[in-house]
Amino acid sequence: MRIRTAAVAALAAGLLIPAGALAQAPSYPEPANPGKVVPKPKGKGKTRTVCKKGCKFKTIQSAVNRSKAGDTVKVKRGTYREAVKITGPKKSYLKLVGTPKSPGRVVLEGADKKTNGVLVNGADEVTVRGIKAQNYTSNGFFFVNVVGYTAQNLIAAKTGVYGIYAFNSKGGTMRDSEAYYNNDAGFYIGQTPAQVKPIRSIVDNIDSWGNPLGWSGTNMRYVTITNSRFYNNAAGLIPNALDSEKFPPAEDNIIRGNEIFWNNFDFHKGAPFKIATEGTSALAPVGTGILLLAGRRNIVEDNEIYGNWGIGVALVQGILLEKNPQAVDLVGNEVRNNRFGLDGTDLNGRELAYSGNGSGNCFGGNTGVSVTIPADGSTLAPCPFTGANTPNDGALGEMLSLAGEASVAAWKRHPHVAKAGFEPLELYTP
Amino acid sequence: MPDRSTTRRSFFGLSAGAAFLCTIGGQEVRLDDPDAARKADVLAAQVERPPGAAPQDALTFPTPEPQPGGRKREYWIQARTRGWDVAPTGRDDWHGRPIPGKRNFRALVYQLMKPGFAAPNGPPLMPGPTLYAEVGDTLVVHFRNAATTLGQALTLHPHGVRYTPDYDGVYLGEHTRVGGFIAPGEEFTYTWEATPDSVGVWPYHDHGPNHTLNTFRGAFGAIVIRERGAKPPDVEQVLFLHQLLPPVTELPRAFQAINGRTAAGNTPTIQSRVGQDVALHVIGMDNNFHDFHIHGHRWKDAAGAFVDTPTVGPNETITARFVEDNPGRWLYHCHVFSHQDAGMAGWYMASP
Repeated sequence: MRIRTAAVAALAAGLLIPAGALAQAPSYPEPANPGKVVPKPKGKGKTRTVCKKGCKFKTIQSAVNRSKAGDTVKVKRGTYREAVKITGPKKSYLKLVGTPKSPGRVVLEGADKKTNGVLVNGADEVTVRGIKAQNYTSNGFFFVNVVGYTAQNLIAAKTGVYGIYAFNSKGGTMRDSEAYYNNDAGFYIGQTPAQVKPIRSIVDNIDSWGNPLGWSGTNMRYVTITNSRFYNNAAGLIPNALDSEKFPPAEDNIIRGNEIFWNNFDFHKGAPFKIATEGTSALAPVGTGILLLAGRRNIVEDNEIYGNWGIGVALVQGILLEKNPQAVDLVGNEVRNNRFGLDGTDLNGRELAYSGNGSGNCFGGNTGVSVTIPADGSTLAPCPFTGANTPNDGALGEMLSLAGEASVAAWKRHPHVAKAGFEPLELYTP
Repeated sequence: MPDRSTTRRSFFGLSAGAAFLCTIGGQEVRLDDPDAARKADVLAAQVERPPGAAPQDALTFPTPEPQPGGRKREYWIQARTRGWDVAPTGRDDWHGRPIPGKRNFRALVYQLMKPGFAAPNGPPLMPGPTLYAEVGDTLVVHFRNAATTLGQALTLHPHGVRYTPDYDGVYLGEHTRVGGFIAPGEEFTYTWEATPDSVGVWPYHDHGPNHTLNTFRGAFGAIVIRERGAKPPDVEQVLFLHQLLPPVTELPRAFQAINGRTAAGNTPTIQSRVGQDVALHVIGMDNNFHDFHIHGHRWKDAAGAFVDTPTVGPNETITARFVEDNPGRWLYHCHVFSHQDAGMAGWYMASP
């Protein structure tokens, strides 16, 4: 199994500086335990308006600084060259509202110098709506160490790491938002603390495209991703497990009722963002719809998955974990009732791939499945299934050989069907 | 502005003898107070999370697995409030008369959701979704307190199935275990076992700090446990008999209800055909003893005696099971006269 060993070594070497490390660069706040939620303030609170001319507040930060918990900051149209910080429990329940009906009218501009468009740290249940953040060196919108948040009607573009990002937090809502041309992932929820009585994160009606990863989910938990579109990324969604962040692996997530298509963006050949040569984004197998990289009790169901020329849905154990052997195996994941290939009109390269690692993983009710790894489908235990799955070294080796851009050479190309309002993105041209 | 004196009189006229509605946070909430519901909610919102119910990140406790040959029956259920019309047709179809006055109130109900609470998997109704399992299965119920405006802990407490104290779903003050206090926005996954002595039909309901009021508001449903491989009836209907009283609804009058609706035409209209195996599961869900009568039919009770009007008490279940052999339009009702005439009745329609 020389190929496999070599592939794992290459992957591990690439992960010496993983995406998680980027996310914890010195300018980032240290993770703290997101504790008890601060009670909702009584009353409506005060509203402060920000605009370029004629308002008391010329910058968003100055209005935020004057605000107390539960207050509202309204931002009128214009471009604001600042990095907004909303920090600490005294800013809980703050509402930062731009132009929800046209988020592009309030622009936060990072000019490739500022770190985060909006950073919410330790302030629970903050709402950020109706703003576009672009050209930040780290993230567009970043929520960390919070219990609950709402990110709605946002656009995040051309950031140095992630578009819209929640880290080390419990619960929250991302909805009606868009992220594109970010250096790593368009959207990301990561390092969710395990909870006996979890507060769920709901992700509804988002569009993520033109990123290496449409969705990254390192060690994420209790996240429901629904009614959303992931397209024209290198890979659509990768809930994954890494040592670089706490609490591996990803658990109890549900990816349901989404459209995951045309994720064949070979950003390695050119992109409107700085191209990473190492880390998870660099290793993401180009042409993948969904990859579960380790994980427990994750459900992938009722999705439309088509036109991804590598693999539609792939499951592989935590090959990148060295310090957390307990989190390596896939346990209790279900891939069910998904529709592949758009009724044969826009086929994936392969529909399903599974190394056979772990236990209780099953596949049921999926339609349009014809090409699988392994080819005989012997690892794809039908649902419901309990007990150990059947490992298949050949399948694992084939999947590992598809890491990163190497997968492009192994694509099974098929014509796309025309889709109004969408254009396939395989190679970026300025 | 409701007529407070009328409210009080209406209630006591229909519920003699009750001294208080419930005890919350060590305090009684009296029924002769027209603001009972509001006061109970205020008290319930102040109930602090007991130490045993804290959301410890590292807390673990035994969770049963299905028996060999059994399976996990998984449900996603949220509790939420909603506006509720006790008589959507506005009429009593039995007596042929309109139902006057206000009849909408803020109910608390359980709603079946799709996995991950991604979307509703059915309307929010009274009763909540019926949970089905066979002997040897486990019922895995992902419960979410989505009634954030109510601002108080809720639970889901089952009857009939086997559970450990952690999965009891009951608030017990400082003795509360993990599943007995699910704060707004939180989820908890209950796991219950369908054992051989679980066969039957049972209620589930809220048993949090404000359980009496919240159960009266509509937070209840049914669990059906069958023998492994048992054939389900051709027609199966759960009927909760209960009153919707002014202190709960803040409406000016009491309503006699079945499944949250009052009067034939609003209560369930049950359809069957001759030859079908019919099972009507009747559960009491208030402070009263009721009985259940369906015209034109008899069936055997648990002791093997033929009955047509068995008694059903609070949280008790009786099942009327028979093979349909007498087609026609039939009335079913509670045979407590003050209940049946005031709306605790419905239609059973058997076609040839």
